[in-house]
Amino acid sequence: MRKPRLATMWLDGCSGCHMSLLDVDEGLLTIAAKAELVYSPLVDAREYPHDVDVAIVEGAVSSDEDLEKIRLVRERTRILVALGDCAITTNVTGLRNPLPLKSIFDRVYIDGSDVEKVHPTEGLPTLLKHAIPLHDVVKVDLHVPGCPPSAPLILHVLTELLDGRMPDLRGRRFG
Amino acid sequence: MSQQISVRIDNELYTATEGRTILQVAADNGRSIPTLCYLEGLSAPGSCRLCLVEVAGVGRLLPACTTPARSGMSVTTNSDALAHNRLMALELLFIERNHVCSVCVSNGHCELQSMAQRLGMTHVHLPYNFPRLPVDVSHPRFVLDHNRCILCSRCVRVCDEIEGAQVWDISARGINSMLVAELDRPWGEAQSCTSCGKCVQVCPTGALVEKGQAVEEMTKRNRIVTDLAVKRGART
Amino acid sequence: MPIRDDSAFDAVRHAGIAKLQPGRPRIAIGMGTCGTGNGAEGVFHAFDEAIGRRGLDVQLVQTGCFGFCAEEPLVNVWVPGEALVILHRVRPDQVGQILDGMTGRALPNGLILCKVEQWDHITARLDYGSGYTSVLPWDEVPFFKGQQKIVLRNCGLINPDDIEEYIAIGGYGSLRKVLRESTPEQVNEELKAARLRGRGGAGFSTGIKFEYLRKAKGDRKYLICNADEGDPGAYMNRNELESDPHSLLEGMAIGGYVTGARHGIIYVRAEYPLAVHRLNVAIAQAQEYGLLGDNILGCGFDFDIELVEGAGAFVCGEETALISSLEGRSGRSRPRPPYPAERGLFGHPTNINNVETWFNIPPIITRGPAWFRGIGSDASAGTKVFSLVGKVTNTGLVEMPLGTPLSRFVYDVGGGSMHGHAVKAVQTGGPSGGCIPHNMLDTPVDYEELGKLGSIMGSGGMVVMDEDNCMVDVARYFIEFTHAESCGRCTPCRVGLDKALRTLTRITKGQGREEDLAELDELGRMIRDTSLCGLGQSAPNSVLTALRHFRHEFEDHIRAKRCRAGVCGDLALAPCENSCPIHMNIPRFLQLYKENRLEDAFESVIMDNPLPASTGRVCQHPCESRCRRQTIDEPINMREVHRVIADHVLLSDRFDTMAANVVAKRKPATGKRIAVVGAGPAGLTASFYLALLGHDVVVHESHAEPGGMLRYALPGYRLPRNVLDREVEIIRRLGVQFVLNSRIGADISLADLESRFDAVFLSLGTWKETQVRLSGNDLAGVFGSLHFLEAEAHGRQTDLGDAAVIIGGGNSAIDCARTVIRKGLSATVIYRRERKDMPAIAEEADAAEEEGVKFIFLASPHRIVGEHGAVTAIEVTKTRLGAFDTSGRRRPIDTGEVQVVPCSAIILAVGESADGELAAASGLATKSSGMLDIDRYDLTTSRANVYAGGDYVAGASNVVTAMSYGKEAARSIDRHLTGEPRFETIFPAFTYDQAPPEPIPCARHHAHFLPPAVRAKSFEEAVSALRPDEAHAEASRCLRCDIRETVAHAVSRG
Repeated sequence: MRKPRLATMWLDGCSGCHMSLLDVDEGLLTIAAKAELVYSPLVDAREYPHDVDVAIVEGAVSSDEDLEKIRLVRERTRILVALGDCAITTNVTGLRNPLPLKSIFDRVYIDGSDVEKVHPTEGLPTLLKHAIPLHDVVKVDLHVPGCPPSAPLILHVLTELLDGRMPDLRGRRFG
Repeated sequence: MSQQISVRIDNELYTATEGRTILQVAADNGRSIPTLCYLEGLSAPGSCRLCLVEVAGVGRLLPACTTPARSGMSVTTNSDALAHNRLMALELLFIERNHVCSVCVSNGHCELQSMAQRLGMTHVHLPYNFPRLPVDVSHPRFVLDHNRCILCSRCVRVCDEIEGAQVWDISARGINSMLVAELDRPWGEAQSCTSCGKCVQVCPTGALVEKGQAVEEMTKRNRIVTDLAVKRGART
Repeated sequence: MPIRDDSAFDAVRHAGIAKLQPGRPRIAIGMGTCGTGNGAEGVFHAFDEAIGRRGLDVQLVQTGCFGFCAEEPLVNVWVPGEALVILHRVRPDQVGQILDGMTGRALPNGLILCKVEQWDHITARLDYGSGYTSVLPWDEVPFFKGQQKIVLRNCGLINPDDIEEYIAIGGYGSLRKVLRESTPEQVNEELKAARLRGRGGAGFSTGIKFEYLRKAKGDRKYLICNADEGDPGAYMNRNELESDPHSLLEGMAIGGYVTGARHGIIYVRAEYPLAVHRLNVAIAQAQEYGLLGDNILGCGFDFDIELVEGAGAFVCGEETALISSLEGRSGRSRPRPPYPAERGLFGHPTNINNVETWFNIPPIITRGPAWFRGIGSDASAGTKVFSLVGKVTNTGLVEMPLGTPLSRFVYDVGGGSMHGHAVKAVQTGGPSGGCIPHNMLDTPVDYEELGKLGSIMGSGGMVVMDEDNCMVDVARYFIEFTHAESCGRCTPCRVGLDKALRTLTRITKGQGREEDLAELDELGRMIRDTSLCGLGQSAPNSVLTALRHFRHEFEDHIRAKRCRAGVCGDLALAPCENSCPIHMNIPRFLQLYKENRLEDAFESVIMDNPLPASTGRVCQHPCESRCRRQTIDEPINMREVHRVIADHVLLSDRFDTMAANVVAKRKPATGKRIAVVGAGPAGLTASFYLALLGHDVVVHESHAEPGGMLRYALPGYRLPRNVLDREVEIIRRLGVQFVLNSRIGADISLADLESRFDAVFLSLGTWKETQVRLSGNDLAGVFGSLHFLEAEAHGRQTDLGDAAVIIGGGNSAIDCARTVIRKGLSATVIYRRERKDMPAIAEEADAAEEEGVKFIFLASPHRIVGEHGAVTAIEVTKTRLGAFDTSGRRRPIDTGEVQVVPCSAIILAVGESADGELAAASGLATKSSGMLDIDRYDLTTSRANVYAGGDYVAGASNVVTAMSYGKEAARSIDRHLTGEPRFETIFPAFTYDQAPPEPIPCARHHAHFLPPAVRAKSFEEAVSALRPDEAHAEASRCLRCDIRETVAHAVSRG
């Protein structure tokens, strides 16, 4: 029997959730024993592969690129896990949402710049009007709360999922 | 001497004093019905709609905080339909304004947040509104952050009913409702404010907080404020 | 001087009668807000001036509104001894005529609406006199027929500013009666026995509510009249207050006696200045006459009334918010209990009732509870006033017994929809109510029945909507209203309505998602079940009923991004484009043609419509019914212009070049193979686009030539075959292959096609003629219309004898009749409804009549008579028009009168349907009607890669509707095969040379018909195209509704 295929994805977030994943410490060995890590910011694979069993996704959907990525993840993944508050509520990445995009760009690239005072136009993904939670765009199978979610919680979630059980996280915490 | 009545709540029979509300009778017997706007010792506005319960023989849902328990009443405080409505009401409070817990001084000590936990909320289905709202820092000791306000009106009531200053009110209508000091002036300029801080202590979220608190530091002691009123048997 | 005894009361009453029926002519002008809004003040002044100038002895007074608001200004003219005559739509310049004709029964005929010989004021009767025999009594005018005026008993007849006139018609008699004869308990019992229910909408028993207050403990009690009428489109209360304020005061005084309250408050909208004024006058008069205040009528009863103006918040119509407002707080609702009867205004026991509830009390006292119970339905006694507005011919205030079916309001009283459009729904209950679809218009209007449909009776708003109303937009409008009026206190109403509004707005902008509907439904139910007060609890009704009864309109907006009504501006280019089933960019080809860019115009036309010359001749042209030019003169003749454009190319030597131009647009080959079954309009259209998208298309057709109904059912005088041949030729050049004489199910099987092709599109059409159960239909000489027309198309003769009768009223009936005429025979069309109900294109029916076709309307076939096995005549029974059916047409009813129409042949043109054999044989899922079960947006069937469309799935319709399925099929098949939305990319874009011009003020150009005598003998094309100059002028008439904004060039103003 093949091992479950695990992927992690980093959208608009601070990478703190991934750090917390690394904080699992020796638990990583348990995970490694149970799963094959097929895609992650932490591994070399360039394209998100087909036929993924579990994907944990950090961060909100903030740009057209994020949108494409999360749709691809959904298409190719059986169980999609929103990892951490940015993926669930937009959290810190959503702090910009009440503000018009232009005012944010002006603040950063015009007011905040000493040299070339222009908005970047090339090579950058286009920001959406709002950073939005994953479940606004795709079906999410499990929400793992926390900013970041604690290492033991992540380990618990992964162990359960990789053993074929859906953990019930209701009532743990929110926000 | 008030009469004693018997009331059935979730199939348990309780004896209660006539005139007590369903919410109070439940609380007296160690059963807590979810609520955010109600605070014992203050009048009940019946506005958050979390405490709605089913009463046998009544075709509609009734707010436990304002409905007096009556003899022979049979109350259900938790059914699938009630849980669904409660979760949805809570979702509406979350989408209405910007509740970013991780950067909030009340994170971990917030009644809205703990209610979400209690009701088993894992995420908010409805799209967020993300309104642009001001933060009033004009008061020397306190902050009013409209982003966190759920319009429960506890501050309005405590200021009116206990402090007697009547600084706060809610202006405008519908989704544009806003907490205002006096006739909509910066809090720091409100002449009637005694700076007693009662409103801050009863505020369930991080909307009214003390200055100088960092994330997760703001804890509140709402029962102290209303305790005397409860003891005096003030309006409920 | 206060009235203290009977003699004083009688003296006032006689003084009042002398005013109502003086010994001289009396003229009363209807001067409610509706009257003055229509110019009644000018009429009043004109009368005043003319009477003064002529020195006439005439009494001139104001009165309220008699209810028929659409016909204002209304003027009552009474001459002693004669009937009271009500004139309508009176202008100041007609005053002279009226005064001239007033005596001698010579009032201008055109102005007379009706007469009143005797009036039942309920509290008294008044005889006016007789005369004017030819004038309709008021209750025989369609608008008033069936109305029963109890609440409106005095409106439009008495002077509202004169208490003596009110007393003259029995006013304050009920108050006097209860004070003299009854205890409060007795009166309360009578009200309970009458089963009067609150007219504000909730329908709670008034008697029981009074009892609560009567029994409530407290030395101070309040009675409140809720006159905060705020529903958009509802103005019953305004009219009642303006026309008859004393009825309210009397009702409240009786209420005070029953309940023990001494303080009455009228909470009236500040936006009703005339009502406020008249109420103030009435209160002052009642106080002066001792009918309010201390020791009323000398009976030792004290009661007074105060008027408070509401400051404009809709929510203050809710009783607890109203109380908050009266207490000087912001108008927000509070939870009940405590109910106002226990703890109301300033903490005192309080009773609140709607204006109309109070109005009903004096009549109940006078006539007794049994009388009242006898009116209306069992559960809902009495009458209710409705403001009937919207898309009906007659608008105004209608008072009907409760339990009257909605259809009577719409069709009998309202006179049906305006402009002949079909009624779609009736909205009842204002923003808190819901929409009831036209097929449920037989619902009786009472509290319970409307509730079952998810609506409410509310305070009596009734808005009629037709096909120009978008139900999504209607729901959005009402939610926008309630969301803005929400007090903001409770969570569901404050945040939930706002969320619902955002979602609905997104849907109307074409940004809806399929899951939005479930979300709206869930949210709506939650708001309804959990809101604090009536506003929130009823606000979702508009969305919930729209979702329940008009779900397909939501789906149109979300899935097809279309608003059929053409209301949602973001979803339509222009009204013509929106109503065109294939969504031709009509303003564009008109503009290009106008710029003399014939080739561009042709490209624009053919890329939108692969059969532009055929449709240019035979299309049903729904575009014209929506063209905005008709608000100025007549609609643009769009069909004829695209015929001109198409003919110029297809029938000229430019054909090869332009065909090559189209072929050059073909996308690179995809290698996908698609089978189309049926080469009718749907199949040809699908093939055209699928070939352009780069697919290999093979069309299987059972006939010998492509074209389907176009070739085999349309006579050549309407559509010459060479036109169709050229259109098919372009499709061939695109690479589409035709396999002719190949019938699916016989020569090929669906399974075979599925195995050889990537996708199959079934567009088999409707070739099965509807059978008629008619005695004698097996006689020789009885034919089906399709059989006959197809034989003609093949050049085969059908033996009809010398006189044919055609049964039916559709295009196919007319085609048969005109073909018969051309064969030199006589033709008679028999249709069971009226001419205006015929589904045939009106021009075609007109042309048929000119050519000598005879019509017999309102007749249905009864029996075919024959001799020796052949037809000799048909017996028809005459029908008459009965009540309106739910389609808004009058139902034909058999009169039993038989007419014999001698004839030698009968052609049955009563419809065709799809053959169900293929579906049955191949196991395709069907609906209960036997039609294929398809997804109406992407045309998928129950089998993967099999699509279906056209008449085959929709039933016999018309060419352009069938084509619309072909277009959608191409979009959907391509999307599924390639996984990309490529369809939109094949359409060209054009820029215009001219800035948006002013439309020219010329009249519509009509195509040229051959003279009837000539065309009736010839199978030559009967209608020739517009000349180029005419077509150019016609194109220049376009108002260019597609232009949304023009950039104003900055002009330096120095």
